[in-house]
Amino acid sequence: MSRLEIYSPEGLRVDGRRWNELRRLDCSINTHANASDGSSYLEQGNNKIITLVNGPQEPKLRSQTNVNKATLSVAVNITRFSKVERSKSSHRNERRVLEMQTALVRTFEKNLLLHLYPRTQIDIQIHVLQQDGGLMGSLINGITLALIDAGIAMYDYISGVSIGLYDTTPLLDLNTVEESAMSSVTLGVMGKTEKLSLLLVEDKIPLDRMESVLAIGIAGAHRIRELMDKELRKHGERRFANISS
Amino acid sequence: MVLQRKRLADGLTVTQKVFVRSRNGGATKIVREHYLRRDIPCLSKACKKCINIVVPDAKNELPTFVLSENPAKLANGSRHYVVLDANIVLQAIDLLENPACFSDVIIPQIALDEIRNKSYPIYTRLRTLCRDSDDTKRVIVFHNEFSEETFVERLQGESINDRNDRAIRRTCSWYAQHLKEYAINVLLVTNDRGNLEHAIKEGLNAKSLADYVELLSNSDDIKDALPNLETFRSKDKDLEARSEFKFPDYYSTARIMGGIKSGVLYQGSVQISEYNFLEGSVSLPNFSKPVLILGQKNLNRAFNGDQVVVELLPQVEWKAPSTVVLDSEHFDVNDNPDGDEGQTVEEETISDKQRRLLVQDAIRTQKSGKVQPTARVVSITRRSWRQYVGQIAPTSIDLQNGGTQNAFVVLMDKSLPKIRIRTRRAKELLGKRIVVTVDSWPDTYKYPLGHFVRELGDVESVEAETEALLLEHDVEYRPFSKKVLECLPADGDEWKAPEDLSDPEAISKDPLLPKRRDLRDKLICSIDPPGCVDIDDALHAKQLPNGNWEIGVHIADVTHFVKANTPLDAEGASRSTSVYLVDKRIDMLPMLLGTNLCSLKPYVDRFAFSILWELDGDANIVNVDFTKSVIKSREAFSYERAQLRIDDPNQKDELTEGMRALLQLSIKLKQKRLDAGALNLASPEVKVHMDSETSDPGEVEIKKLLATNSLVEEFMLLANQSVARKIYDAFPQTAMLRRHAAPPATNFEILNEMLQLRKGMSISLESSKALAASLDRCVDPNDPYFNTLVRIASTRCMMAAQYFYSGAYSYADYRHYGLAVGIYTHFTSPIRRYCDVVAHRQLAAAIGYEPLDLSHRDKSKMEFMCRNMNKKHRNAQFAGRASIEYYVGQVMRNNESEEIGYVIRVFHNGIVVLVPKFGVEGLIRLENLTDDEQSAEFRAEEFKLSFKQGASKEMKDIYIFDKVNVQVKSILDPVTSKRKAQLLLK
Repeated sequence: MSRLEIYSPEGLRVDGRRWNELRRLDCSINTHANASDGSSYLEQGNNKIITLVNGPQEPKLRSQTNVNKATLSVAVNITRFSKVERSKSSHRNERRVLEMQTALVRTFEKNLLLHLYPRTQIDIQIHVLQQDGGLMGSLINGITLALIDAGIAMYDYISGVSIGLYDTTPLLDLNTVEESAMSSVTLGVMGKTEKLSLLLVEDKIPLDRMESVLAIGIAGAHRIRELMDKELRKHGERRFANISS
Repeated sequence: MVLQRKRLADGLTVTQKVFVRSRNGGATKIVREHYLRRDIPCLSKACKKCINIVVPDAKNELPTFVLSENPAKLANGSRHYVVLDANIVLQAIDLLENPACFSDVIIPQIALDEIRNKSYPIYTRLRTLCRDSDDTKRVIVFHNEFSEETFVERLQGESINDRNDRAIRRTCSWYAQHLKEYAINVLLVTNDRGNLEHAIKEGLNAKSLADYVELLSNSDDIKDALPNLETFRSKDKDLEARSEFKFPDYYSTARIMGGIKSGVLYQGSVQISEYNFLEGSVSLPNFSKPVLILGQKNLNRAFNGDQVVVELLPQVEWKAPSTVVLDSEHFDVNDNPDGDEGQTVEEETISDKQRRLLVQDAIRTQKSGKVQPTARVVSITRRSWRQYVGQIAPTSIDLQNGGTQNAFVVLMDKSLPKIRIRTRRAKELLGKRIVVTVDSWPDTYKYPLGHFVRELGDVESVEAETEALLLEHDVEYRPFSKKVLECLPADGDEWKAPEDLSDPEAISKDPLLPKRRDLRDKLICSIDPPGCVDIDDALHAKQLPNGNWEIGVHIADVTHFVKANTPLDAEGASRSTSVYLVDKRIDMLPMLLGTNLCSLKPYVDRFAFSILWELDGDANIVNVDFTKSVIKSREAFSYERAQLRIDDPNQKDELTEGMRALLQLSIKLKQKRLDAGALNLASPEVKVHMDSETSDPGEVEIKKLLATNSLVEEFMLLANQSVARKIYDAFPQTAMLRRHAAPPATNFEILNEMLQLRKGMSISLESSKALAASLDRCVDPNDPYFNTLVRIASTRCMMAAQYFYSGAYSYADYRHYGLAVGIYTHFTSPIRRYCDVVAHRQLAAAIGYEPLDLSHRDKSKMEFMCRNMNKKHRNAQFAGRASIEYYVGQVMRNNESEEIGYVIRVFHNGIVVLVPKFGVEGLIRLENLTDDEQSAEFRAEEFKLSFKQGASKEMKDIYIFDKVNVQVKSILDPVTSKRKAQLLLK
């Protein structure tokens, strides 16, 4: 029996949020201007993520060159100290991490105008400094921001969020405690549309509940997009002010 | 450390919660987000501000404001709400549930969390209280930790407990401030002295529980129900006076943890022997036999069923299980509940008695050489304390004393010690069945301290006894709550199955209707015990053109009405089974469903879940099909009437022919089962006939079986197997199944030894088939009942069948030993068993009727459900038996008689005799067997007790399995006021 009330009858979750509330989302871009072409730092709850984008650049290996479009690669580095207990292994070649990387490449491939950059490579590096549940969604948000910073042509924002199902109530944006207590899905939503570029369902979810889960997930993703958009515009204004002054 | 707060939006702030968790010796710092908000309402109807801040939940419902605008007045005339501390709820949950006191209660979230961590059952009771008592009790949880106004940060150097206490006081002061303008006072009730003092210093209204009760208008009635805690009484009593007697101290947590890790200490749950309340045993994984715990000091305040940590005693103290019968009722009858003066004298007599027993024990042990390791309890991990039913021991109270006095309560459960309570109503309560709770057991007290909860009624009155046995067996018997009844179909009695399954209007109400098959043309009938109203099952048979038979078993479609995740479903799951008493039935589901809408009554259309087989002439399954259906039963037979109809050669109609076919096929099925090794066990069950007018128990009858009983039974077994296989295929990890493990050989050791010695017979345990065959061989040509006796004895050596989900065991362990089938479940009685409801839902999902609810696909939830089902099932059986026992006692009260009995156990100081006619067994003590107790000789290895009998002083030997004549009468035990059979050897 869990020591905590995951979702109380009064409608409050373990950390005091209600069912449809996002966690705190703080982000900034162009944080590592010297180390990369585009970068972002994102805090979604206690997830803390640095994303670096390099490219479009010449591929390191000839063999990876594609004459028609750019090659996209994602490397996720989950640091050993990112969880409560220090892990003994670096998670580099773990199956779980490899799967995440593949999923991320597939999510963004369709959203980027890769055909504009033939014979090049776009490298995305992610460093997870701290994780607190719903990691995949945060990675997506971090990548979106860094890609925009790098100025790579893309169709729209992709915003990611995880949604859990507690009995019959969908809960938005899970933290670690909640994630381990219930089954969840992760969405990647294109801009303001209802198009999904990612739907990650690793746990069992009853089909008849899926609709309500998706609905709240999409609404949450739109809200995340707004927050990111606001930050980007602020950043843009600042830069513009710098140039003009 | 000062934590940052960040404002996110209007009314929402985030901060971090930092704490250190220690696990496996290491300490880890944990940081979690903590959101503070302004939209947490006070939930008082008087409040005009909070109504503006509330937000709807996921179902778009606004919270209901619960606390009354006109709450109860205290003695000083002020209207008040109560804020409770965690310790009050933990100690006095009964009081909280009592409708006579505590209304408009606010539970701070921090207290709720503490309650949840300390005792989950109390947490659930509290939550139920919050949910169900909107109008009368009005209990709410206030999330003080999430409210910006009431959240407090831990100060430098402040302990967690102090911080939590401060949080509760903060909640109090917030409420007081918030409700000031509506003239409602807020009163903090806590038993924590520090908290109380601080609160008063801060200018809050605060009272201890005792003081609070004093302020109530009806305080006199409630006072007795106050928890009895050592800490409260220590101030006015001199502790030194009773330090004569002292239990050994429990070990410290650190020592326990270290000991368990290094393998010096062991953890397990205590089972107190049913014949000797000073002997317990603990089953430990590394020992083949249970480890014994002998004597009061070694048991060290452990109750039956407690989780304890034990330490082995040195080998010189190892013993064989005691052969003495000892129950708490007759032990130390004269102990003084005040226990102040005369303590030393008592002490001596007791220890003398005990020492005598110990010495006798030791001698016997040496003789028999059957030594078992013994242990002593060094710590109690989890108490199994609950409410107990008992009555005040008349010798323990002073009838002249009108004031508060101590009294002993002797519990109905013989394996538990007496409980000491303080009450002012001792005189009134004498001769009544009362409910008490245990509060604490300090080491200087010989008996646990408890308090009175409520009275049930006079001893031996039907109402009190029935309620007592329901309480004792933890059977939920209160009427269904309003929320549960709201889940029933709105049409109530008027509900009808639709005439036409393709009727668009009906389909719009129930979109799954087209998936039902119309079986109203089949000639279906039901066969049940006479007077049965909850008809779960009906059958039909029809010859197919190819000569095979189409057999249909139709089970009431309960899951059509009981949908998953409704309060109705939750109630059913928690009750898990209907309980059948002699004069009463405690339903699992409300009457409307059980006896009407679901019940497959004759002549009306009913929804059913049907299993249709094609069986060939030898009852082999050719084909099986499952479908939800609509049926119309043509007739509801009783077993006897069905038998008469089948036997009547004049009846040639199709229905009767179908029944005859069913009978023929069932005989073949049964033969197949017996060939496979199904067991035919026996229990000494009897049935009590009630006088229909006075509802007095009339006569006792041994249950008899007709061929039609086994007709229904065989097809139900077949249905259960077919369903088990189907749901296992569909849900290999979470299918709801039932298994019966093969009994371990050690269970039969003693029985085999007895049989070998006395009759030269033995029971083979190689397989269930060998067991069945060897049971058939255990026949005494001179005594036809002997075989039944052996069967009864072997039934008691068997393992109990249990519910489980398929992921819990490997396929080989799914076997049902008793029925000799590979895979089995319960499917055929969804009205009275919850397992069947789950099986119905799983089968419905397996045939694509509707998706399966998540809770039946989740291993941990299934695990939880199975455990509850097993527990409730066992309790229901015990309750049923206890009810029969009580009525048999009532029957015997009127007629004293001489009957034939069989000796089934031989002890050092008595024998246990079973009387088949009444299905009762009773102990005959040595002092009732002979005048000369010293002459008695007990030989454990021969199962023999010899003593001088009667005036002739001839030695008489009593062996196990002996047939004896006994005089049966029912007597009222003066100490326990329990009526039981008294047997005397003739």
